[in-house]
Amino acid sequence: MSNLFEFPEDREASSAAKVRALEALLIEKGVLGSDSVDAVLKHFETMAGPFNGAKIVAHAWVDPEYKQRLLDDTPKAIAELSLPLGMAGAEGEHMAAVANSSDVHNLIICTLCSCYPWPVLGLPPYWYKDPVFRARGVREPRAVLQEFGVTVPPTKQVKVWDSSAQIRWFVIPEQPANTGHLSEAELATLVTPESMMGVALVAAPAV
Amino acid sequence: MKLAHHLGGIENLGPVSTDTRVFAEPWEQRIFGIHTVMMAESAHLANARHAYPVSTLPTTFKNDWTWASLRTGAEDMNPFEYFKYRYYEKWLGGISQFFVDQGYITADELAQKTAHFRAHPDAALPEQPNPELSRQVDAYLLNGDSGYHEAHAAPRFAAGAEVWVADPQAVDHTRLPGYLRNRRGVVDCVYGGTFAYFVSTGVDGIGTPMPVYRIAFDAADIWGPGKSEPNTTIYADLFEAYLQPVADQPNNERTEA
Repeated sequence: MSNLFEFPEDREASSAAKVRALEALLIEKGVLGSDSVDAVLKHFETMAGPFNGAKIVAHAWVDPEYKQRLLDDTPKAIAELSLPLGMAGAEGEHMAAVANSSDVHNLIICTLCSCYPWPVLGLPPYWYKDPVFRARGVREPRAVLQEFGVTVPPTKQVKVWDSSAQIRWFVIPEQPANTGHLSEAELATLVTPESMMGVALVAAPAV
Repeated sequence: MKLAHHLGGIENLGPVSTDTRVFAEPWEQRIFGIHTVMMAESAHLANARHAYPVSTLPTTFKNDWTWASLRTGAEDMNPFEYFKYRYYEKWLGGISQFFVDQGYITADELAQKTAHFRAHPDAALPEQPNPELSRQVDAYLLNGDSGYHEAHAAPRFAAGAEVWVADPQAVDHTRLPGYLRNRRGVVDCVYGGTFAYFVSTGVDGIGTPMPVYRIAFDAADIWGPGKSEPNTTIYADLFEAYLQPVADQPNNERTEA
């Protein structure tokens, strides 16, 4: 869409200077400390991020009973695992998981803004926040998935989950074929944020 | 009628972005961080369900700042600019304007300081750490700000009930996706308890604690068979104020999408 619009040449340099000016003024006025923004960013490097979701998914793959518990009561099942503190923290106060299967493909969306399960997935990637995805994902999810390289056969049901109240959704993707020999930790390395939002499948490692 | 309330379903926009980056430019991290610190020191947290000692925090920030604040600003944008500007460009515009409007900074100060950093991109920020505020940022991120409350009455609808989505008078901020107005769905799940929203949306109907339901819609019932894909179900979490019994639907008919 943005190619329809003209932007000044110094678009990014100008925003970079403005945000730095805003942060400097807010520090001077006592609204922020000079360490406050870094405290936020550090949380998303060490505590909240897709590295947590990948561990949860890998554990669900190797333990079908755990997977069922994760679907039945997502927060309780997440609390069983050794993950960083804060798994019910900001933007994860009420999370719910849905599972892809041979019959169902799930797609998570937020048509009103960009609701996203921070503790297990971190911050939303650009495609999720972009208005074109948010507009099209609820009307033509199969066409959108095709643009991401995911073909969903017409016989498979597509379920689209529009987050507009308290629940923050994520997907348990299907385990790729021929990965049964991998350890749980190795499986976790295959799981991407996109697969946990439903716009990608998990691929087996290249041989 | 606001674009952001009716974004879901718009046609002819071209291909989606498949950019998987969280931040398209390094500067975007700073505005995300500023917003999140504001949420962590928002005055409303003194009385939130998980209450925080924000009234004694060493900060000059005294406003409420929640997702509702940020969303209301985005929903107030010119629709062309909503598409024109990248996600964090919208945040930078909205948050800067908030601080000017509330008198924390002046537009002149911001323009002068911006010019300074344009000329000296590597100039340092003031060194003035606030350890107590950093601890509050951590506490907020770890514990969140749930709108959950106990239920004091039975929910109005039961799982399996057919419902009709209300069409309340338009307001500046809503959590009702426009494409669901006047559509029929089925209650898939009644979430336990009740949920407050950060602010009252007035005649739109949410704010005070109320049950929330997961409603299932057949895509063809929303868009019409010619404008939907087969074998597709849309689920939406909707506050009770947005739902009506089917018997109350005017004409018991829906208009075409």
